[in-house]
Amino acid sequence: DSHIQYERVGADVTMKCGSMDWDAAVTWTANGTDIDESHLNGSYLILKNVDLTQSGQYSCYEGSSWHLKYQTYLRVGIPPKEPVLMCRSNNYPKGFYCSWHLPTPTYIPNSFNISVIHGTKEMVCEKDAFPKNRCHIRYVHLFSTVKYKVTLTVTNALGKNSTSLTFDEFAIVKPDPPESVVAKPVPNNPRRLEVSWQNPSSWPDPESFPLKFFLRYRPLILDQWQHVELSDGTSHTITDAYAGKEYIIQVAAKDNDIGTWSDWSVAVHATPWTEEPKHLTTEAQITETTSTSTSSFMPPPTTKICDKGAVVGSGAVAVCWTAGLVLAAYGVLFI
Amino acid sequence: MAAADSPSAALRRRDLCSRGIRLAGKMRSDVVDLLETYMERQGLDASASVAAVEGVPVAAVERWDEQTGTQRLLENLAAYRAFRALLAQMLEEQQEQLGEADAALGRALAAVLLQVSAFAYHLEELLRLESRGPPSEEGAGPPPPSHLGLFERKLRGLGVLRELAQWAVRSARDLRQLAKPSPGSSSAPSPAESP
Repeated sequence: DSHIQYERVGADVTMKCGSMDWDAAVTWTANGTDIDESHLNGSYLILKNVDLTQSGQYSCYEGSSWHLKYQTYLRVGIPPKEPVLMCRSNNYPKGFYCSWHLPTPTYIPNSFNISVIHGTKEMVCEKDAFPKNRCHIRYVHLFSTVKYKVTLTVTNALGKNSTSLTFDEFAIVKPDPPESVVAKPVPNNPRRLEVSWQNPSSWPDPESFPLKFFLRYRPLILDQWQHVELSDGTSHTITDAYAGKEYIIQVAAKDNDIGTWSDWSVAVHATPWTEEPKHLTTEAQITETTSTSTSSFMPPPTTKICDKGAVVGSGAVAVCWTAGLVLAAYGVLFI
Repeated sequence: MAAADSPSAALRRRDLCSRGIRLAGKMRSDVVDLLETYMERQGLDASASVAAVEGVPVAAVERWDEQTGTQRLLENLAAYRAFRALLAQMLEEQQEQLGEADAALGRALAAVLLQVSAFAYHLEELLRLESRGPPSEEGAGPPPPSHLGLFERKLRGLGVLRELAQWAVRSARDLRQLAKPSPGSSSAPSPAESP
């Protein structure tokens, strides 16, 4: 006779050897290993203050014949704590989903029951195949002021617990983050970055239910984000990037009228266009060839005019390079 | 595009829809602000639950995506005409109840009433484009308030504004549906999206 027995952590457990008398000679095993007689009271097995490590198969054998008289699978666990429940509509206006989890494991099987009530009407939340702890509901009504009440009850062999959420249709609307975010430098524009993205694929009808977007960007070397809110379109050109600095960029989405902002998209990195430093090779050659020239020649002071430590805009960078080229040209004339 | 839909009519529809969408957006924003002011002035809590109020058009709709363009316009127009009467009544009651003591609430109510009237007119224009013309305004007005106590009137006002806020969101969606380049907004709708 084999069955499962659930006991709470810390409980004292007494196992009888089936229909054997109390004074019968028996041997108990746990997962095939003999249990010491000190745990026996007659033919009863006594386990005090059980813990999780004592889960396993317990068998009782008649003393002389070694006939198996009783077998049970002991599962030590805890009753469920209040579950954590959340509901969200990332595919408005089609419907919403609710997902849940337990804050701490119970170590034994749990079953979940969810009920959704809209006004007086009970709605069916269809369980998803994956992930398991999730179900979805299709909206029957749209634009309703009547709130939804979702109650989740979790039950196991040792107890039950429940939690409820009450919300209105608009409050739980939260799109998924924008997808396919791409950031590219703009040729010949050292302060620009072109960013584009797509609506999340889970948002079913962006034409009737348009999204607005929030872009944030910063150079990797700084902590402060710049923000731009965009009411339409799925692209934006950043025009105030620091030249030559690598940027991190993210985008979030929100329904134009209702609900909350999505999480931030996956971050993308990009560095604005910078001119190839060809003139450095040219200047080095001129410096070598003019090292024996007249003392009136001055080598192009690129590092003196342009302070590398300064954060420069495109205009200032252009002046530095231009000064270097002009002076290099004068140097050539004096060869 | 259906044969009856001339290019100029289509352009006019798109233009009216765009302006209507912006008007609905502004209206919703102002109604949300008005709701806060109203609850504060009337001593109501945001959690106050209001049962469906007689005469207040309910924004909730089943199978919204299956409605034809004409159905959308007619339902919207009926709603905003009703809101026009309800808000006018609220304004009158508010002036009687609080008088000059709360001019700010009165002004906010009047501003929203103006927007509701403008939106109703906008809808009438769209219906004329559909060659239907707006229906006449015959019909029962809002229920007489004489039997309602002061607290009941406050709750009804809350119900009116809450439904109006929902309608403003719905109207923007309706107009976006209408503005879609589909083969004739008055005819059968495009197949509903598969679930």
